[in-house]
Amino acid sequence: MRLIADLHVHSRYSRATSRDMIPEALCRWAQLKGISVVGTGDFTHPGWLAELKEKTEPLGNGLFRLKKSLMAKDVPPSCRADVLFMLSSEISSIYSKNGKTRKVHSLILVPDFADAARINMALSRIGNLNSDGRPILGLDAKELLKIVLDISPEALLVPAHVWTPHFSVFGAMSGFDSMEECYEELSPYICAIETGLSSDPPMNWRLSALDGITLISNSDAHSPAKMGREANVFDTEASFEAMKKAIRTGEGFLGTIEFFPEEGKYHHDGHRSCVVNLSPKETARHNGLCPVCGKKVTVGVMNRVEKLADREVGFKPGNAPLFDSLVPLAEIIAETLERGVGTKAVEGEYQALLQKLGNEFTILMDTPIGDIERAGSVLVAEAISRVRSGRLHITPGYDGEYGKIKIFNGDERRTIKGQATLF
Amino acid sequence: MTDTHASVFEGLNEAQCEAVTTVDGPVLVVAGPGTGKTLTIVRRIAYLLHGGAKPDTVLAVTFTNRAAQEMRERMESLLGPESEGVFVGTFHLLGLMILREALCDGFVVYSKEEQLNVVKGLCKEGASQSRELVDSISRIKSLLETPSEEMRHVYEAYEAALRDKGAMDFDDLILRPIELLENPRFVSGYRERFRHIIVDEYQDINAAQYRLLRLLARDRAGMCGVGDPDQAIYAFRGADVGNFLRFGDDFPNGRTVALKRNYRSTGMILDGASTLIRNNGRRIEKDVQPTKGTGERIRVVCVPDERAEGRVIVSEIEHRIGGTSHYRLPRGGGRRQGADESYGFSDFAVMFRTNGQAKAIEEAFLVSGIPCRVVGSRSTGALNGSDVIGKIKAFAEAECPPDMLRSLSAGEFLEVALKKLNIAGAAGYQEIVNYINMVEGDGGVNRRAIDFLKTVSLLTNDDSFDARADAVTLMTLHMGKGLEFKVVFIVGCEEGLMPFGPAEGPADIEEERRLFYVGMTRAREELFLLSARTRFLYGNRCNRRPSPFLGEIPGRCVEERFVPDRPGKQKRKRQMELF
Repeated sequence: MRLIADLHVHSRYSRATSRDMIPEALCRWAQLKGISVVGTGDFTHPGWLAELKEKTEPLGNGLFRLKKSLMAKDVPPSCRADVLFMLSSEISSIYSKNGKTRKVHSLILVPDFADAARINMALSRIGNLNSDGRPILGLDAKELLKIVLDISPEALLVPAHVWTPHFSVFGAMSGFDSMEECYEELSPYICAIETGLSSDPPMNWRLSALDGITLISNSDAHSPAKMGREANVFDTEASFEAMKKAIRTGEGFLGTIEFFPEEGKYHHDGHRSCVVNLSPKETARHNGLCPVCGKKVTVGVMNRVEKLADREVGFKPGNAPLFDSLVPLAEIIAETLERGVGTKAVEGEYQALLQKLGNEFTILMDTPIGDIERAGSVLVAEAISRVRSGRLHITPGYDGEYGKIKIFNGDERRTIKGQATLF
Repeated sequence: MTDTHASVFEGLNEAQCEAVTTVDGPVLVVAGPGTGKTLTIVRRIAYLLHGGAKPDTVLAVTFTNRAAQEMRERMESLLGPESEGVFVGTFHLLGLMILREALCDGFVVYSKEEQLNVVKGLCKEGASQSRELVDSISRIKSLLETPSEEMRHVYEAYEAALRDKGAMDFDDLILRPIELLENPRFVSGYRERFRHIIVDEYQDINAAQYRLLRLLARDRAGMCGVGDPDQAIYAFRGADVGNFLRFGDDFPNGRTVALKRNYRSTGMILDGASTLIRNNGRRIEKDVQPTKGTGERIRVVCVPDERAEGRVIVSEIEHRIGGTSHYRLPRGGGRRQGADESYGFSDFAVMFRTNGQAKAIEEAFLVSGIPCRVVGSRSTGALNGSDVIGKIKAFAEAECPPDMLRSLSAGEFLEVALKKLNIAGAAGYQEIVNYINMVEGDGGVNRRAIDFLKTVSLLTNDDSFDARADAVTLMTLHMGKGLEFKVVFIVGCEEGLMPFGPAEGPADIEEERRLFYVGMTRAREELFLLSARTRFLYGNRCNRRPSPFLGEIPGRCVEERFVPDRPGKQKRKRQMELF
């Protein structure tokens, strides 16, 4: 069975997260997006765990389902589907190791509430789980792995968005140069990494150290609309065990749905406050210093990959899973309408397309272009066609600033629309 | 032998060597903060053993289990099995050993809780009054006083109750040995045995401990007191710095060695702290010298109120850690330029004069999500899941035979336990049932109590804070003794709090100054002294004035910072004035 799974999101109990991130909304938006299995996020938060316990029912396979009575009634029939929850949480470890401050985020997946409660019990003696759905612990990432494995052998720990400069295992600012430096003798227990928005599989393939490690992708969404901006495609039955096995072994793991890495917030180097956006080459030319303020630039993902890579650009391992690079549908529509993503016009067209064609992933990846044109507009159809074939321009993101998508140039919009009316 | 001998002196400075080798007469080692006191003691033990002393003739006493533990570990790592038989322990452990050797082993030692129960049983007083009575009894015993008229009745009844139960309290572990040792025949054996006595934190000994030591040591050549009169901060427990200052009279042929080279703090911090402490009269002058660089000036920060204290601290910590989440990254995307790149949360400590100050600081940490631990007090008072489970486990072990646990369901057992432990209350019970259901799956309450307990045993251990965890330490200045941190924040540097007491003049200004000195000298690299302009105290928001101690720190060591009132507040005020 083909499953799309987004295993890393946050609840309203996390910092800077939409108040709408409640189980009902996760379930509703998963349907709109076309996600079959969604991570709950934040199981370490006692309030969220209790809410999940109350609002879901176990399916006996390590996954959970929103109670029928809570299901949203306003999901278009074209999108309605079963949505399963997997218990997940993200931990921020901040600690000092080998003479440097380290900040590493880890994603934890567990098959039931008992495991979650046991992990929470142990972690509550280490830090405060109440103040943030993604708690900060002064705990070595390796110790965290040990605690999780001791308490719940079924659980899976995956280093989160591994290239993010400030908060990840390979991050330029507070990460490590190798998995072994971080996890030491426990490194073999790391069987997957989350590549994050600013990197895609080809960038990761350049490190032979990552051979045999499954590259997974999740949205890390803080609001419902951001769900599924990255996701994983499985060919397994819907169960914790089967999905875990697929992640561990790569068998049944078909691949990922990706952001264009340039769109990620840390693809390039630079300084947001100085509006300085540098490619790794340019950074090298400036000796790593910001040409405006003279301080060190925030080194982004591309640069960091370059530094740790031992293979040339373009290397592809033989058994590499597939991946699709997409732009979120709302952004595509915004581009065609020349309006902001959050505007009513974009929202209206988004809903209309979903009504007619089905969920967002279907539209972005599978719906024939002709159908999209009939259901929406020729511009949207053309835009999706271009995204599918990677014909678009992106100004890369840097130092926390998202990259900027550009699908059409100057007059192209009018030309395309004009051509359409000619026939 | 020669190379082990070399290791005795390895890395020691001249004064430390002198303190190690002065074994032919009594010696008082004046050890300023960060001058390698424990190292010197351990090397002295090594020197004695290498010189032919038998391990069981060496007695090293200190005050806390923590200090004893550290000393023992360091001794064992230096000397290995050679050190077996050396007594390293607290005064109480020494007392216990003497009692065990003299009497049979049949007595029990009461904890503070148990003392409290005895007192409660005797005079039907409330908890706080009983606690006061227990403290008064302890004070009488540690100062070797006779109880006053009004106390006599309670005191005698308390003593009788303990005798009836074959129990002793902690102070008895010093008092009873003193009684025994006052018998000349009994004491001579111990004097014969403990030829080499080393007393750590000599400035903190109280009358009873002093008496015990004098009985054991008389004016013995092998007597070595180690400590720092500037760090005597336990007067409230009956400690008397006078004992330290009187060492020369007690041991007339004694020598004094001062350890002056400080390996902990920057020059700025030492200069500030040393200048301050020179305002004390009852002390021994020692010119503590830095071995580290000058460092940054002491930051004296004036903030609007106690909440701002917390915010300033959190932001300084985030600045050094380099932000704790994407939403709290310092501007410019990085951490301080040129700063030491390696900080963990345990490199920071916040210290305060009174436990009541912890709350506002802890709240700032809760908001930030930065892990912190309040040492020595449970500031929130609320029991969390693991506390409750810990208590339940202890209850089951103490009171419930296994048969009973087999026959009861987890739910039934819990009902009994919670009632007995007095932590029931409908809400509390439900919370725990929810908790069990979480851990055990639904229907967990129906499982056998014994199985339930087995499961929860795996989850908790006795130590309620995981040692692997890194957290910012929040503690009183008293708790800071013997510790060090890269960055120290002392909050509430205000008149009335630091020094603590009424404005007319605190009971013991010198003791308060020593306490402040101890706090300042905990810092390795940076020291922040914060004072608030207003503070919520005794039910009112009060205007505050900076501590007079701040004025005793020379300007050359200080960088002053003024944090204005929050702009929002001012604006509102101005608007109010418009109308």
